[in-house]
Amino acid sequence: MTLARRIIACLDVAGGRVVKGTGFVDLRDAGDPMELAARYERDGADEIVYLDISAGPEQRATLLELVSRTAEGVFIPLTVGGGIRTCDDVRRALRAGADKVGINSAAVERPSLLTEAADRFGSQCIVASIDAKRRAGGGGWDVWVGGGRRNTGLDAVGWAARCAAAGGGEILLTSIDRDGARTGYDVELTRTVASEVDIPVVASGGAGTAAHVVDVLTQSDADAALVAGILHDGTTSVSAIKRCLAEADVLTRASLV
Amino acid sequence: MRVTIFDYGAGNLHSLEKALVLAGATVRAESDPLRCLDTDVLVLPGVGAFGHAATRLAPARSAMAAALEGGLPAIGICLGMQLLFESSDEGAGCGLGVIGGRVERLVATRVPQIGWNTLEEGVDPLLNVAPLSWVYYANSFVTRPARAESVTAWSTHEGDRFPAVVRHARTIGVQFHPEKSSAAGVRFLAAALAECSG
Repeated sequence: MTLARRIIACLDVAGGRVVKGTGFVDLRDAGDPMELAARYERDGADEIVYLDISAGPEQRATLLELVSRTAEGVFIPLTVGGGIRTCDDVRRALRAGADKVGINSAAVERPSLLTEAADRFGSQCIVASIDAKRRAGGGGWDVWVGGGRRNTGLDAVGWAARCAAAGGGEILLTSIDRDGARTGYDVELTRTVASEVDIPVVASGGAGTAAHVVDVLTQSDADAALVAGILHDGTTSVSAIKRCLAEADVLTRASLV
Repeated sequence: MRVTIFDYGAGNLHSLEKALVLAGATVRAESDPLRCLDTDVLVLPGVGAFGHAATRLAPARSAMAAALEGGLPAIGICLGMQLLFESSDEGAGCGLGVIGGRVERLVATRVPQIGWNTLEEGVDPLLNVAPLSWVYYANSFVTRPARAESVTAWSTHEGDRFPAVVRHARTIGVQFHPEKSSAAGVRFLAAALAECSG
């Protein structure tokens, strides 16, 4: 038996609230990430990601309170990313109730952070989060940091391999070109990175339809696909995506078992 | 029922605590391993690394092993299951050794194993009460029991078949995370607690 391919629902949060609105009219509070996370769990989501896009120190406590509340009502893995800069940040997120922690810019500045965190908490909870953008006019992808504002000049494929060697347990690979565009995942980027590293790769950025999820999971070795906007606005659902995957003979965890 | 989680100080105990509370238990997290034994059910949680946990366990190792041998109900999850064994390739130090055998690295290309897998040959009676189709794993290491009779369910990652559930005296060890295996996992944990109190 092999592992099921995963569908991961991602929520952008700031100050403990969902940032982008949702199309759900039946939620008591469409701005409460916990309520959405519970809804996605019921619909068969395999994991939840909270991406803290505020990440200011004053809002950090609010985020941890949200994580704690979520862990008490959502019984699938929860990853927290955004603004994680030190081992102490990792510890606080895990103690609050996160199962995994995504590290992005801070790993570029200090790759040993991945190793320190993995040694202390185990690789399985350290997610190396990489934002990649196609090089203008040439082949390959660069790693960008600071929410996609600064090009590090690092080759994304090589950097992914370094993250894996440094102790990252998983790669969350976001295509900046495709993020929010809804034109499909960057399949070539995902395929290239997933064949380069031995740790699980999560494809992110570009999902516009359930078919896009099928494309990236059939045309690459990615373990999982991250989905955000098209779930929140009701374009599709986790269960609908899993039905499409089943038709394409992609193994997923059956929902509601 | 008083349930005590041994807190090695490494990671997330929140979901586990809540799942046990939902099952009707009075739950406390306790960082002193000796005081952990003053309980109806002991839970060894599944977060952190073996070496660190073995160090924290060391002062109470023989007392805890004797308590489990003497019939104290216990549930070990992931690393907590591995601590039931003698030693681990992951780090120095001794486990409780109540189940013979070692903890070794998964023999697979994709390590850690992160994600949902199925159970095979599940003969554990708990699976009749609370069936599990898919369970969530997050581990690089697995147990290699000296005696196959200890094992009541198996899983396979790539080509490596490993114990998913082990039993000894009134101790249950699970390599997966029931508290992260959605509603079915929470029901399994509740059934395990019910068995402990029976």
